[in-house]
Amino acid sequence: MKAKKLKASVPEFVETDASEDDANDSSEDEDRQLQKAFEKGELKPGLNAIVPLVKKDFVNNVKALKSKLEQIKLKYDWVETLDIVNAPVDTTPDVKQQYGDLKLKINKKGFVADEEKEDKAQHDFKREILFYQQAQAAVLECIPRLQKLKIPTKRPEDYFAEMVKSDEHMQRIRTKLIAKQTAIERSEKARRLRQEKKMGKQIQREVLQKRQQEKKELMEKVKKFRKGETTLDFLNEPKKTSKPKKKLTKKAKYKNEKFGYGGVKKRSKYNTASSAADISGFRVHKHASKPKIKKQRPGKRRRQQMRSKR
Amino acid sequence: MGKKRKRSNSETEAKQANEPESKEMSDYRFSDDLPPRKLKWINKQRVLVFASRGISHRDRHLMLNLRKMMPHSKAESKMDKKDSLLAINELCEMKNCNKCIYFENRKRMDLYLWMSNIERGPSVKFLVENIHTMEEMRLSGNCLKGSRPLLSFDPTFEKVPFYALLKELFVQIFGTPNYHPKSQPFVDHILTFTVLDHRIWFRNYQIVEEDGSLIEIGPRFVLNPIKVFEGSFGGPVIYSNPHYVSPNKFRQMIKQEAKEKYKNRVLSKKGKEERTPKGEAYKDIDTYDDVFETIEPEKAKGVEKDVFQRKKE
Repeated sequence: MKAKKLKASVPEFVETDASEDDANDSSEDEDRQLQKAFEKGELKPGLNAIVPLVKKDFVNNVKALKSKLEQIKLKYDWVETLDIVNAPVDTTPDVKQQYGDLKLKINKKGFVADEEKEDKAQHDFKREILFYQQAQAAVLECIPRLQKLKIPTKRPEDYFAEMVKSDEHMQRIRTKLIAKQTAIERSEKARRLRQEKKMGKQIQREVLQKRQQEKKELMEKVKKFRKGETTLDFLNEPKKTSKPKKKLTKKAKYKNEKFGYGGVKKRSKYNTASSAADISGFRVHKHASKPKIKKQRPGKRRRQQMRSKR
Repeated sequence: MGKKRKRSNSETEAKQANEPESKEMSDYRFSDDLPPRKLKWINKQRVLVFASRGISHRDRHLMLNLRKMMPHSKAESKMDKKDSLLAINELCEMKNCNKCIYFENRKRMDLYLWMSNIERGPSVKFLVENIHTMEEMRLSGNCLKGSRPLLSFDPTFEKVPFYALLKELFVQIFGTPNYHPKSQPFVDHILTFTVLDHRIWFRNYQIVEEDGSLIEIGPRFVLNPIKVFEGSFGGPVIYSNPHYVSPNKFRQMIKQEAKEKYKNRVLSKKGKEERTPKGEAYKDIDTYDDVFETIEPEKAKGVEKDVFQRKKE
């Protein structure tokens, strides 16, 4: 009974009709396979059935392909079709130097190798370059041919005709390109200014420190002169150019380490993976559980006695 | 019958065109004179470019881009998906077209493309992937509408018979015929067809300078060939692509992979639970108790050899 029902719903399979094809939903295919198997009696009662593994065989009828090509081939001059088969141009050495090797690696099965796909941007770039270079090679070969045949390749300035993209659209593209360019320039400029400002501040600080140092030294010498310890020779002495660097005391060093000196303070005290793993500050004796002798609270009577004594 | 007569006409025209006679327009003409026919137009390809109902906006734009690029194309209103594909042949004959590009959308996700030589076949079915239309902002090239393109093909198109057939079909469909009335007399852009990853990558560049500097115009898309039929929209299959994975299958695989990930996680959790000893007897056992139980390296057997080794000095 059930089998009959299923049979009725199976659509007739027409071999020549191209629409009956693998593009159909795979679930539909499975259903049909099941139905066929059921009709043949391969399905046993129960939920699961072992589906025989059918190897899909692919067609590559070279003979038919070649004869078809022969049949439809146009036997016109090259001018009528303008087609060309060509390999991409070689990368010039300076391009190679700038971008490295631009050739896509192909594996044995004819696909692009997996290692190329690791860097998506690089993969895209290499692929586009390949197409570009192929087009370039074709242009370099075809343009002289066309010129020989006296076919114009350049449009005269005064030849106006409808373009593929409208003027309005091209205007939009242009503004977008300009906006992109200016944005890049602006960010570059801002970065440069930031750098300069940073450098300028440092230099200014150094100059100020130097000046203070000199002033201090001078005052000391003047003091000594007043006491009569030295003469006024130091006024004629040539100026010291380099100042001796002040040695940090241990305390100052520790404080610098702890509280930071210069640089960004923000987030500097957050835990990181390394700081969390760092156990150099761990002291055993602080954490070891020693049996502490705890002073017990005296009992109630004892306390009352103590109170009365007071 | 009428159609047949037309065809014979075009044949005679072709014969005439081979003779080097081009009539110049005379200065004085009568108003009821017929305009002189251009006889140089030999390669008469007419391509019907249309789609099925239910194509997405991007697919439609791609179709319109192709129409814009090909002055020898003709338009047709969208076809019902329920109609048999064989009806397209009649449609083309009515429109006087001998080539056809037919876009078909399934599930509003996957775009298929048929290319066919109407009279005698063959027809090819492709899956279209990675569509970028001409309207995209980063494709900044431009060219004359109706100018004839150069067609550049990868060397694979010569070596493999299947690709050779495809090349001939592409040439006849995408190449604008010389002296086509709607075409422009300049060659200012180039179409490239490249085989990579067993797919055909389509690009359209504007020729800026003749030393080989190009700007992309668009559209760009990838054709993944599925099958080649001997006839037009039917007939025996003469090629089927062994590398083709249907988008349904592909989506299924992705889902399967995600499912596997979850399954593995659950299984590993369960496995760990099973491996850890349970019960009263194992309560006080420290898992690291046997860390210091060693044997002499000379006595190690099998897997133990990897663990117990004498340090070389």
